[in-house]
Amino acid sequence: MNVAVVGLGEAGPTVEDPRSIPEIVLDAVEGALADAGLDFGAVDAVVTASVDLFDGLTASGIAITEVIGAVMKPETRIAGDGLLAALYGACLIRSGAYETVLVTAHGKASLAPHWELTSWALDPIYLQPLGVDFLVCAALQARATAGDDPRAEVRWAETAAVRRRDARGGGVAAPCTAGDVLDSPVVASPLRSEMCAPLADGASAIVLRAVEPGATPANGGWGLRFGGFGFDLSPHSPGDRDLADWTGLRRAWARARLAHGEPVPAIDVAEPSCLFPHEEELFRRALDLDDGTVVSPQGGLFAGAVPVAAGLSRLVAAARALRHRGGQGTAVAHGTWGPAGQGQAVAILEATL
Amino acid sequence: MRRVAVVGTGQTRHAKARDDVSQPELVREAAAAALEDAGLRPGEIDAVVLSNMELFEGRALPELWVGEGAFAIGKPCLKVATGGTSGTSACIAAFHLAASGIFETVLVVGFEKHSEGHTQTGMALTDPFWDRAVASGAVGNFALSISQYASERGITEHQAALVAVKARRNAARNPHAHLQMPDLTVEDVLASRMLAHPVRLLDMCPQSDGACAIVVASEERARRLCPHPAWVRAAVTRHEQPYLGDVERRLLTMRALRDAARAAYEDAGIREPRKELDVAEIYEPVTYAELAWYEALGFCAAGEAGGLIEEGVTEMDGELPVNPSGGVLSTNPVGASGVIRVAEAALQIHGLGGARQVEGARTALATGYGVYAWSDVVVLGAEAA
Repeated sequence: MNVAVVGLGEAGPTVEDPRSIPEIVLDAVEGALADAGLDFGAVDAVVTASVDLFDGLTASGIAITEVIGAVMKPETRIAGDGLLAALYGACLIRSGAYETVLVTAHGKASLAPHWELTSWALDPIYLQPLGVDFLVCAALQARATAGDDPRAEVRWAETAAVRRRDARGGGVAAPCTAGDVLDSPVVASPLRSEMCAPLADGASAIVLRAVEPGATPANGGWGLRFGGFGFDLSPHSPGDRDLADWTGLRRAWARARLAHGEPVPAIDVAEPSCLFPHEEELFRRALDLDDGTVVSPQGGLFAGAVPVAAGLSRLVAAARALRHRGGQGTAVAHGTWGPAGQGQAVAILEATL
Repeated sequence: MRRVAVVGTGQTRHAKARDDVSQPELVREAAAAALEDAGLRPGEIDAVVLSNMELFEGRALPELWVGEGAFAIGKPCLKVATGGTSGTSACIAAFHLAASGIFETVLVVGFEKHSEGHTQTGMALTDPFWDRAVASGAVGNFALSISQYASERGITEHQAALVAVKARRNAARNPHAHLQMPDLTVEDVLASRMLAHPVRLLDMCPQSDGACAIVVASEERARRLCPHPAWVRAAVTRHEQPYLGDVERRLLTMRALRDAARAAYEDAGIREPRKELDVAEIYEPVTYAELAWYEALGFCAAGEAGGLIEEGVTEMDGELPVNPSGGVLSTNPVGASGVIRVAEAALQIHGLGGARQVEGARTALATGYGVYAWSDVVVLGAEAA
């Protein structure tokens, strides 16, 4: 039994969506179901991803129970990145318990100063009192990644400029040159404001289905094999790990290849969940990608980084990239959460069912 | 779902405040105990599922900090949070992970350290448009529904007090239980402070610091690890309309729990739950709820729950002992409470219940409950389905 991605939906990303969280999620869910050619009645179980403190709600899944069609249905809320919710959804199908699973993730960065909130996810004894947050941890990681390389900042500026150019049309990130990036203000040295993917509001949704190998999915149109996936949690304290390497992603990638079973074909498209150019370098190294892989063809998270939904949005982007290739090839989607990439998840998508 | 079983359990000492440990240390106590019970080393765990209601401690993504306590570093780790059902939902997530064919052994750890936060403030952070202005928290919410339930079913304060006495008497046999009140009487309960009519202080669960862990294993691994695996015969989740006014006579109907139980009994091949279940560990945050759950779980017909407690049917020596552990009424670290229900049910199948063991227990029920909106029902058995 294979797990297939058969429906994709997204709301946003936008700078500041005036709608409520349930309205944004409903938009994404209706899109995914329509794409799959299914209605709510066909969904056996729902997995959602949200984080209470970011939503300002206790048990934040409550707010969207109705719009995800979960009333009197099995629903699980993963308090973490959206790609984790998708991986858990795939496990629900692989367990034999369900055939069709809806997965959603949402975030609304405009509700509150996001980076300040992230300080509440840090060790309250040794880290939080220092006044650091995820942005500061990312800056520490950038510094460690650069090492003695005097060209690092210029290289990151060039990458950011390319991603901003490719993300054009989304209306969230303003295009600019590498020079503009280097002239932008420092937000946490060595990171500059235009080096950072812009935070946004939005939601992503996918439909997963059990599919016999070689079969055509029920919607008759298309389907992508959720071929292998892995996830991992690294030590919390930045001092307890090598910040210049995403070893957690290496472990997650090894698990994904193991779960895939057969040798993984060459990766045609990669959709990393990278908020900063130095993270993209860590991602490429962890997966040992060569120049044959197209990375973030639509600008990646520079088109708008939605907290919590980011990883699921990469899965949607990777699936869209394969569809645009006429249903050919192999793609990877990536999610990360926590300070300096503490949590890592990666999934392999294949056009062949 | 493929066959999986609970092969180890462990829990901490639960108390009003565990000032002697940090959150990761609290989690480590339960995780280490469960691994020891299962005969596993940390390196033999393939994945970890954590359960916690983070706003009760005023945190976000607590697994990042606390994960090390659960041996999760370098491993796949998920956190599940669905209110009061967080713990049972985490257990159900682990069942599916172990059944997926990808993970052989999965550790679940639920924890809460209420003493480091303000739970009622956390509970009041509800829908900002419709619910937050009411901000009634748990007790006010219960009081509304209980008034209606007690009125329609003719439930008396005395019957509710009998539930309180049963729970605390049972807790006295459980060395882990928070409240130790072996000599509590019905008169004591009825004389306790009124919180919101008709709910009195001793009708309510406490707020506890504590953690609980279980080890879930695939069929092959379970048979090798455990002499008496607690096989998962059913694991069902149902979520309900979240707004108080959207479901008429909410506590009377408990549609989500009723439907989850119906589906779970069907999966487990149970037709007469009162006769076929040997023991039940149900998530009863307040005495009146336990009586309502008797009806929703099919232990009795509508209107007979008061009689059930009066006749002693659910006492330790009754036909169907309910909550030998003392239940949520005696111990309530919210993120762990659902895990405790599953662990205590598994403990009965393992035959390791000590003074709270129900002799010869072979089929056990565990339930989770969250704000009337969520219900989980798990059936564990000595025999695989």
